Amino acid sequence: MNKVRVATIWLSGCSGCHMSFLDQDEFLMELAKLVQFVYSPLIDVKEFPENVDITIVEGAVGNEEQLELIEVARKRTKQLIALGDCAVHGNVTSLRNALREGDQAVLKRAYLELADTTPQIPSEVTPLLKKAHPLHEIVEVDHFIPGCPPPASLITYVLTELLAGRKPEMEGKAKFG
Amino acid sequence: MKSVRLTIDGRAVEVPDGTTILDAAMANGIKIPTLCHLEGVKDYGGCRLCLVEIKGSPKVFPACTTPVGQGMEVTTNSDRLKEYRKMALQLLLSERAHICSVCVANGACELQSLASELGVDQLIFERDWPELSVDLTHAYLVIDRNRCILCTRCIRVCDEIEGVHTLDLMLRGKETQVVIDLNENWKNATSCTGCRKCAKVCPVGAIYVKGEALSSTKDKEVAKFITERRRSAFE
Amino acid sequence: MVKEITINPVTRIEGHAKVTIFLDDDGSVKDARFQINFFRGFEKFCEGRPYYEMPSITSRACGICPVSHLIASAKACDALVSVTIPEAAVRLRRLMHMGQIIQSHTLSFFYLSFPDLLFGMDADIEKRNIFGLIESDPEIAKNGIKLRKFGQEIIERLAGKRIHSSDWIVPGGVRWPLTKEKGERIAADLPEAKNITISTLEKFRNMLQRFDEEIEHLGNFPSNYMGLITPDGELEHYDGLLKIIDYQGEVIADSLDPTKYKEFIAEAVEPWSYMKFPYYKPLGYPGGSYRVGPLARLNIAKRCGTPLADEEIKEFRKFGKNGIVESSFLYHYARLIEILFCLERAEEILSEPETYADRVWAKAEVSRSEGIGVAEAPRGTLIHHYKVDENGLITWVNLIIATGHNNVAFNRAVTEVAKKYVNAKKLTEGMLNRVEAVIRAYDPCLSCASHSFGSRGIDFELYDADGRLIDRNSR
Repeated sequence: MNKVRVATIWLSGCSGCHMSFLDQDEFLMELAKLVQFVYSPLIDVKEFPENVDITIVEGAVGNEEQLELIEVARKRTKQLIALGDCAVHGNVTSLRNALREGDQAVLKRAYLELADTTPQIPSEVTPLLKKAHPLHEIVEVDHFIPGCPPPASLITYVLTELLAGRKPEMEGKAKFG
Repeated sequence: MKSVRLTIDGRAVEVPDGTTILDAAMANGIKIPTLCHLEGVKDYGGCRLCLVEIKGSPKVFPACTTPVGQGMEVTTNSDRLKEYRKMALQLLLSERAHICSVCVANGACELQSLASELGVDQLIFERDWPELSVDLTHAYLVIDRNRCILCTRCIRVCDEIEGVHTLDLMLRGKETQVVIDLNENWKNATSCTGCRKCAKVCPVGAIYVKGEALSSTKDKEVAKFITERRRSAFE
Repeated sequence: MVKEITINPVTRIEGHAKVTIFLDDDGSVKDARFQINFFRGFEKFCEGRPYYEMPSITSRACGICPVSHLIASAKACDALVSVTIPEAAVRLRRLMHMGQIIQSHTLSFFYLSFPDLLFGMDADIEKRNIFGLIESDPEIAKNGIKLRKFGQEIIERLAGKRIHSSDWIVPGGVRWPLTKEKGERIAADLPEAKNITISTLEKFRNMLQRFDEEIEHLGNFPSNYMGLITPDGELEHYDGLLKIIDYQGEVIADSLDPTKYKEFIAEAVEPWSYMKFPYYKPLGYPGGSYRVGPLARLNIAKRCGTPLADEEIKEFRKFGKNGIVESSFLYHYARLIEILFCLERAEEILSEPETYADRVWAKAEVSRSEGIGVAEAPRGTLIHHYKVDENGLITWVNLIIATGHNNVAFNRAVTEVAKKYVNAKKLTEGMLNRVEAVIRAYDPCLSCASHSFGSRGIDFELYDADGRLIDRNSR
């Protein structure tokens, strides 16, 4: 039997959604029999592969690198899942959107006002986007699993449904926060 | 009193004339989602979650402010209504900073649990971020206008139950906000009795008692309870 | 000639980083940098929020060590309301933090680094991960899963939720006590967790003989060390005083009040990373840099303070000069010892009746304009510093994150490893994995450090001296 090809991506989030994924505990061992992880921070593949069946994305899109990655991932993926509130609607990552010129405001505070030696806004790094975006503002998303983080049981439910070829039914199950 | 016969979701029911569709449904165990409705105070028809269909009309009607009529055929849960309700929630959720994860009402919020119940699992609109004020001046009552959904439950309990009308609305459209007296800090509000009813009935994390778990301090039955006690006292 | 090699993203670490290796004209390694490419800005966007929301907001900096943030944040808030929290609340916060250290250290050891140890640094990349471990050694994998689960369940049983259980810890204590019944359930699972840890330590000790080279060359360098310890000099994660020692174990500073950190810790910025560089002020930057985390804590402490961990630390010290262990590779060892310590301490806490007292929350109003909270997170000293207006709305925030303290050390470690292993003329995947492995040894939590996370697949790139891309090797 060919294993289902699954990728997981961390964008701008706290890793809590990936931790909740790991909180599936012993089910991970079952999962490993059914799926092959082809790209993930947990494995050492450095380039997003072709022909991915399911890509699970944690975090909002916050910088230019992430923008590029999510677009590549979308093109190479059949079903894309937004995992957790940051990916779904921006959540805490998007709090900077509330500030006027939020990208500059957060950088100034951290690297000019709160630095003691050589204060400067790092310039040789990937620039932040003006705003942090939920995934669906950038690419088409097939399934949303809200939550901060979504409970492990909900992740298991969605994966089980998708692996069985069914559409997960989120009414009464999905919950923000 | 004259009674009226109608059907709700195909079920024949009989209620006194003048009853709202919402009350008629609830009296017969049919659940219609609501947010601004609060038993014990006048209905406002603001949140549009209780929309229902009435046979013969292409329009939809808020069940909380529409009285029953003889022979009415009411539908409370069609696909169209589901979509409309989800849309109403979408609009509410994107209007202000409703970040459930870091909200004091996380887990005790009617907006959050309704979104879950109705299957709202994403935000389709870009969030607006109004810069509204948080008033932390009162000894124990807090208002965070960034989390307000303008359901006016607080205003109605303050006016109709406590009878002091400390709270009201200011400005219009998306600028609208709940103010205290003539837009005072809460600690300077001379009309406020500090009764906490506003905090108990607020469905979200906009008005609450500082330091207390909202799951234990929220109590929207308080308005109904007081109204019923008053009625029985006069009888 | 090749000028630069990039590893992006560094994988099997908690966060997104990239390593750039700079080469001399002859292809030898000149320098290397550990860079963080993302940033979220907690220090700014918390402004204007009520102080008591800070534990909940700032713990979202990190999904791996949210409890450490909850604790540092709540301690800063305790200071704002000027209370001494009830004894039972201290015990329960400690217990929760132990759950978090157990799960976080387990994640680092079993899920991220163990595949390198078991399969070797040059193993097939398809195999070299937790899923490879599940396939080829399901028993070990299962042990890792169980131990992590045990840690997470401590948190869940106390606070109701495993990750971001942010409404339990509050300024002034915790919201509700631990019931005897739940305490007993944790205690019932404890022996198995302890057995797993003991057998893993044994296995690891035996494996160490095969890793002479790694111990010697994976980031083995002298440095200063900083961490909290108890007044008696024992291992401490919740409270205590800061101590800084040098590479020989000589005391640089002792009994420092962590809430006065501004007097002795400062931060520098480099243009090429979003992670700042903290240092000990009197020694300047970068000379005042130091290492933090499990290795540093064990180097600083006189002893752990629990019987089994105290036996183990003796073995650990044998790898050092004057008892000071310098090899970054041995962070793994230190981490296992800390898991054992936390299990022993948790057992003690659970067995004492004071833990189950009803009084767990001292309610008070904001009465100070400034509050500082410091704790030892799994990865090192974590500092939260807030200022509020007269009503308690946040006006200013400074966070110094555990992983950040190691920033200078990361750069030193990757440079050392790159110099030893990377050969630009004959680049292999295993060479670069060794660079990544030394980073894994520190278990950096970059989600915290940049107050964010990110990941991007690419590759390493080879440039000529004029900056032209001459080769691009995807992995």
